[in-house]
Amino acid sequence: MAEFGAFALILGLALSIAQLGLSAGARVRRSTVLAAAGEGAAFAAFLATAVAFGLLMHAFVVSDFSVANVAANSHTEKPLLYKVAGTWGSHEGSMLLWDFALTAYGAAMALFGRNLPRGLKATAVAVQGGLGSVFLAYTVFASNPFVRLVNPPVEGRSLNPLLQDPALAVHPPFLYSGYVGMSVVFSLAVAALIEGRVDAAWARWVRPWALAAWSLLTIGITLGSFWAYYELGWGGWWFWDPVENASFMPWLVATALLHSAVVTEKRGALPGWTVFLGLAAFTFSMLGAFLVRSGVLTSVHAFAVDPKRGVLLLIILGVTAGLGFALFAWRAPGLSQGGVFAPVSRESALVLNNILLAAATATVLLGTLYPLIREAMTGEAISVGPPYFNLTFMPLMAALALLLPTGPLLAWKRGDALGVSQRLWIAALVALAAGLAVYAMEDPRKAFGALGLALGAWLIAGAIAELVERTRAFRAPALESWRRLVSLPRGAWGMTLAHLGLGVFVLGATFETTWRAEAAETLPIGGALNVGAYHLVLKDVGPIEGKNYDAERAIVAATRDGHPVCVGEPERRLYLAGGQTTSEVAICNRGFSHLYIVLGERRDSASGPVWLIRAYWNPLASLIFLGPVIMALGGAISLSDRRLRIGVPRRREQPA
Amino acid sequence: MILFWVAAGVLSAAAAFLILGRAAKAAASGEAADPTPVLYRRQLAEIDELAQRGLIGEAERKTAHAEAARRLLAAADTPQPAWSADRAARRAVLAAVILAPLLALGVYVGLGSPGMPDQPFAKRMRSWLASSPATLNPPELAAVLKKLTAERPNDPEGFRYLALAEGASQNPAEAVRALRHAIALAPDRADLWEMLGEALVVEAGGQLTDEAKNAFQETLKRDPHAVVARFQLARARIESGDKAGGLAEWRSLVGELPAGDPRREALTQAIAEEEGKPAAAPPQFSAGQMSAIRGMVAGLAQKLKTNPDDPDGWVRLVRAYSVLGETRARDAALKEAKTRYRTRPDILESLDAAARAEPMK
Repeated sequence: MAEFGAFALILGLALSIAQLGLSAGARVRRSTVLAAAGEGAAFAAFLATAVAFGLLMHAFVVSDFSVANVAANSHTEKPLLYKVAGTWGSHEGSMLLWDFALTAYGAAMALFGRNLPRGLKATAVAVQGGLGSVFLAYTVFASNPFVRLVNPPVEGRSLNPLLQDPALAVHPPFLYSGYVGMSVVFSLAVAALIEGRVDAAWARWVRPWALAAWSLLTIGITLGSFWAYYELGWGGWWFWDPVENASFMPWLVATALLHSAVVTEKRGALPGWTVFLGLAAFTFSMLGAFLVRSGVLTSVHAFAVDPKRGVLLLIILGVTAGLGFALFAWRAPGLSQGGVFAPVSRESALVLNNILLAAATATVLLGTLYPLIREAMTGEAISVGPPYFNLTFMPLMAALALLLPTGPLLAWKRGDALGVSQRLWIAALVALAAGLAVYAMEDPRKAFGALGLALGAWLIAGAIAELVERTRAFRAPALESWRRLVSLPRGAWGMTLAHLGLGVFVLGATFETTWRAEAAETLPIGGALNVGAYHLVLKDVGPIEGKNYDAERAIVAATRDGHPVCVGEPERRLYLAGGQTTSEVAICNRGFSHLYIVLGERRDSASGPVWLIRAYWNPLASLIFLGPVIMALGGAISLSDRRLRIGVPRRREQPA
Repeated sequence: MILFWVAAGVLSAAAAFLILGRAAKAAASGEAADPTPVLYRRQLAEIDELAQRGLIGEAERKTAHAEAARRLLAAADTPQPAWSADRAARRAVLAAVILAPLLALGVYVGLGSPGMPDQPFAKRMRSWLASSPATLNPPELAAVLKKLTAERPNDPEGFRYLALAEGASQNPAEAVRALRHAIALAPDRADLWEMLGEALVVEAGGQLTDEAKNAFQETLKRDPHAVVARFQLARARIESGDKAGGLAEWRSLVGELPAGDPRREALTQAIAEEEGKPAAAPPQFSAGQMSAIRGMVAGLAQKLKTNPDDPDGWVRLVRAYSVLGETRARDAALKEAKTRYRTRPDILESLDAAARAEPMK
């Protein structure tokens, strides 16, 4: 079975090459037979890669330690979920997941792209086949997950216990579907450049792919952040760690792309810029894949410390992106420029959005790569931390947030600034009032926090104002407004939700970072500490035995003003297989806020054992994760809009 | 092996079927129209629909409509080159269908391990269970015993054997776990307590932890003559400074051991070594203790951040950083504290003294 997996993987590579050859031939000879065969090869490559992926998963589930990758990353005592998740818990396995997603997107493009022009489709399928060939070849020859061991060990070395967690088990599939989804956009961009045709129709074909990839990436990043929040036990959810930035940059670029593609679709404007973003999105995805695998970073993601593989990936990145951008430099000047628009218009607002997002991406890129470059040049390791990002990234995002609610209210081509300000004054008042109220009421007083809060309220109120405007609520009869509300296109709902979600996120992020409280003390049993308005008592600590770990579990009772609130049970686990310890945080939900308790190491003191207990009060922390979920939901709803549905003939009742 | 060939054949055939099937369908169907005008026509219809619902104004509808109509005309005017179902292409498709599996097979023979069977854990377990225990190596024996103890969870002897096998497989943590199970079933057996103590010492890399000491004390409660427990507890006395008492206990232990016992010789040597040493070394910290210390220091630094008016706290923090050898953190803390208490010479003096504390090794 394992050997069959090895064969299937190589067959996937051979079929990807066939896909590239047949589709390229189809474009050159304008042959429908070859084009169809190329699409068939895309399905077949997906089938073979899926079989290989399934068989590796099977080897993990049955703990076949004669497969080197299983021996290095699994263990018989691991719960089934983490045996399955172990499939993508290593460098080799996650490359296979990447290939699986890449071929899946190739097959989806062949299947759903029925209404693409033949030339564009054949070229895009060929490019996708080329990407598949390169990455599958890398997997087969440089990081094959099916390498066998003649003398298999009795037990596996197990997965890093930090990764044995439900959120992390599903984080990579989402993240990779997002990353790799950008490959379709990349292929379509390259194909459009070769065909010399970037127009409104092309933008329309690109949008659903970009939207799907963006939504999946949003969920993937959020899961990762959520995991960091409750598993690492530092109480933080974003650290501007290079690995986080690596996933954040494609997201920023994809966000910009979604917005610029709208302009290209509706007005035929900005074609070059949209194509550029399409190329950049996948380039940043590959950069992320390179950063975590090259050994230049140290983190839970940095699987491979093998520089040879890193160099290979860097070459793949350089060649792929280099070819794409070279093509762009050659063909872009010939692209038509499309519709014109006034300085105050929806287009201008979206252009400004793009400029800000691009600048934000550039600052993150600089902050991520500068320490690496500097270390390579001078050998001196420096770290670029939150202060840098607070000073550069935050103002850009604040400007973006200020601008955001005006965009959807502006008309295309020529907007009416006065009219927009009339429609938004209530939202502005709400935001101002929210900011002032928080400034006056929250203790300690913090102007920046209040400002951030006002910004969040502005985004939410702006999104609602936009909805009110569209439905003419409070101005037209209620029935009329209701009719308008239900007949709003799903794309409009999606946009409103995404903008609302951003506002929810800003609220949570601001509140949590500004008014979090923390306390840490070594406590004996019966000892107490205060955090925020809460009084925590360490009631007991006892040993418990898990399936593949031993742990100490503390019982911490929290009260507020003498009333019991909740009992947290944080754990400190020792995983037997690798000897690593992890802490399981206890989180008490208080509305949208969290009381977050971490059990530290046991220490023996003169008067008996004591434990280091750290506790955080994280106000409105749930919103940080809820916001992106709303955004992704918005993306999904937009995607279900029949106007974006791909390949399905439109069933529409004839207008009377 | 046969299964492999069958599976490889089926997968290759499925791939061929997908490619050929799709190509045949394309060859049979006629020329399709360029979808671009269709799409622009749709866009036009959507603009009208939005206007009908009242979601865009009349002026906006007009301009958008005019623009989309221009695009439609332009697309209709640009003739798309014709595509055909050429016959020559069929040979290329056929070649691809045949060559791809052959190429894959060639690479596989070079890279893979043809003929190597799967070795799922359950299958290996069955073969271990069927063979005599004498032929198994310690990790295999441990795996077998783990399965047996799971089936008979009330037998302390099974757990004891498991602990022995785990110990021999360099898995002290698993051995400790097995012994805890055994002791829970038979709390009166001194030998189990003694083994637990030993396993704990191995787990701690030779250190006598409080837990290990406790296990040895429990041993002596049940069997005052237990040799290992007495040896280790005497060692604990030597390490804590009571060299004379510990050595006396060791010497009496030597006297009690029978002449042929190999432990006797080892113990005599240990006594000689200990007598040769000058004085008790300062206490060493294990990695676990170090991280606890660092955690406390971090807690102290945090506390000072929120509540900085605590001269004693600052002195303690500076001393802790010096002892830990974290000079940069020490200097930063020292600077901050000195600025804060620049008018208090007594505090400045203690701060300087704390900064000079010897870093430990």
